[in-house]
Amino acid sequence: MANDLAVDCAAVSKRFYIYERSHASLRQLFIQAALRRLPPADRPYFAITDFNLQVRRGEAVAILGHNGCGKSTVLRLIAGVYAPTTGSVRTYGRVATVIELGAGFHPELTGSENIRLYGAILGLHRSELDARHDAVVAFADIGNFIETPVKYYSSGMQARLAFAVAVCVEHEILLLDEVLAVGDEAFRRKCFDHLVHYHARGGTLVIASHDLDTVRRLCSRAIWMQQGRIVMSGDVHQVADAYHASHLG
Amino acid sequence: MNAGRSLFDYQALIQSLVLRNLTVKYQRSVLGFLWTLLNPLIMIVVLITVFKLVIRIDLPHYWAFLLSGYFVWNFLSSCINAATYTLTEHAHITRSIAFPKEVLVLSAALTRLLEFLAELAVILVVLAIFHHGRLPVSYVLVPALVLLQLILAIGVQMPLATLAVFYKDVDHALPVLLMAMFYLTPVFYPASMIPERFQTLYLLNPFAQLLTLYQQVLYQGQLPSWPLFGVACLSIGTIALLGLAIFNHFKALFAEIL
Repeated sequence: MANDLAVDCAAVSKRFYIYERSHASLRQLFIQAALRRLPPADRPYFAITDFNLQVRRGEAVAILGHNGCGKSTVLRLIAGVYAPTTGSVRTYGRVATVIELGAGFHPELTGSENIRLYGAILGLHRSELDARHDAVVAFADIGNFIETPVKYYSSGMQARLAFAVAVCVEHEILLLDEVLAVGDEAFRRKCFDHLVHYHARGGTLVIASHDLDTVRRLCSRAIWMQQGRIVMSGDVHQVADAYHASHLG
Repeated sequence: MNAGRSLFDYQALIQSLVLRNLTVKYQRSVLGFLWTLLNPLIMIVVLITVFKLVIRIDLPHYWAFLLSGYFVWNFLSSCINAATYTLTEHAHITRSIAFPKEVLVLSAALTRLLEFLAELAVILVVLAIFHHGRLPVSYVLVPALVLLQLILAIGVQMPLATLAVFYKDVDHALPVLLMAMFYLTPVFYPASMIPERFQTLYLLNPFAQLLTLYQQVLYQGQLPSWPLFGVACLSIGTIALLGLAIFNHFKALFAEIL
């Protein structure tokens, strides 16, 4: 059934250009502009190759792999931040992303002002912003600092606020990138509990992580990626065991 | 992705960004908003000194002539400046959340528009009292000119912002280009001082068209020359469409490069 899918990546590849040659000459620039072409790249490389992933509604899927294996690229493709080079990425439902924590924050604005701004970037309307504000403040739980400019926050406080905004936004699909390691023990537990609760209510989760323990407890399925390709996919424990074993070996 | 959501759905974001731009700009500054008025006024005093006393441009109420064009120029050049850094400034949002990038450019332009409108209100009153001694009928055309001005600013911002993502050279070239544009646009002299045989060529510049229209309406207190008005609508509309097309063509790549 196609209509109980939440995320559908079909034969996706993503090519990046590494701009090593830092500048093109003016003549090249004009020629490229005329031909409507991109600047030449020294090394095109495929961050993702032939990637297929279907996530059903209400499913929790983990993406495992070493740094640079393409986990974050996959999340950005699903989030619509990157356009796939080939293949197609479809999502069904509102997507919330926690890819770079605190990315939308402006240091000069207070926590409260930043909540509104961040929410607006995620596409919330004015009325939704008003309705969500208190819930976010409660979740972040940083006390009076909510009225202080974010530049005076500790990194843990920033992370709390960012996580709170992202998860308090109404969404059907949540993409998390390595962010469960933020804040102190209590906040980590709170985030974890929130995710368990969210998943139990039928929310869809895609998590990129190294933290096998969390992944085993949250997800039912996992994929293991190496150099932009899926090398293993299936039950979370089997994949996590294999991934873990490869570390030891 | 996000197919059902249009720019209209991001109204709240545009509002928040404009509000943020203004808050960040004016907080912890004693004179705050007065600076937007004060800076151009200081510049105008300098221009008056040079071009009234030294170069001697012979126009009645030269200060009124300057007032009717300088603020428009100031708006355009600060929009153009903003275009080069708005996208880089928001690089980390662009890399982690999918949203229409146009919003960033639009909110930069709208922030400056709010400032311009406040300045314009003062200018309209000052010119009516001290220059015309009455309320000129031509003022009814001011909203149309402001609209043209906004469209021109956005039309130039879009391709420039795109270019600035790919090439740092924009940062280096822009100050000189703006300086050149300042002299090639009738800000401190009227377009009528340009030699007859260069007139047509000169007025091909949409900046010159717009400034001349403003001077006709604000300084001369006359209805604009309609052929010029028509040409301005046409050229500014073309620039805006081209600018948007360029931006749209490249915007999918912004997240990868920033």
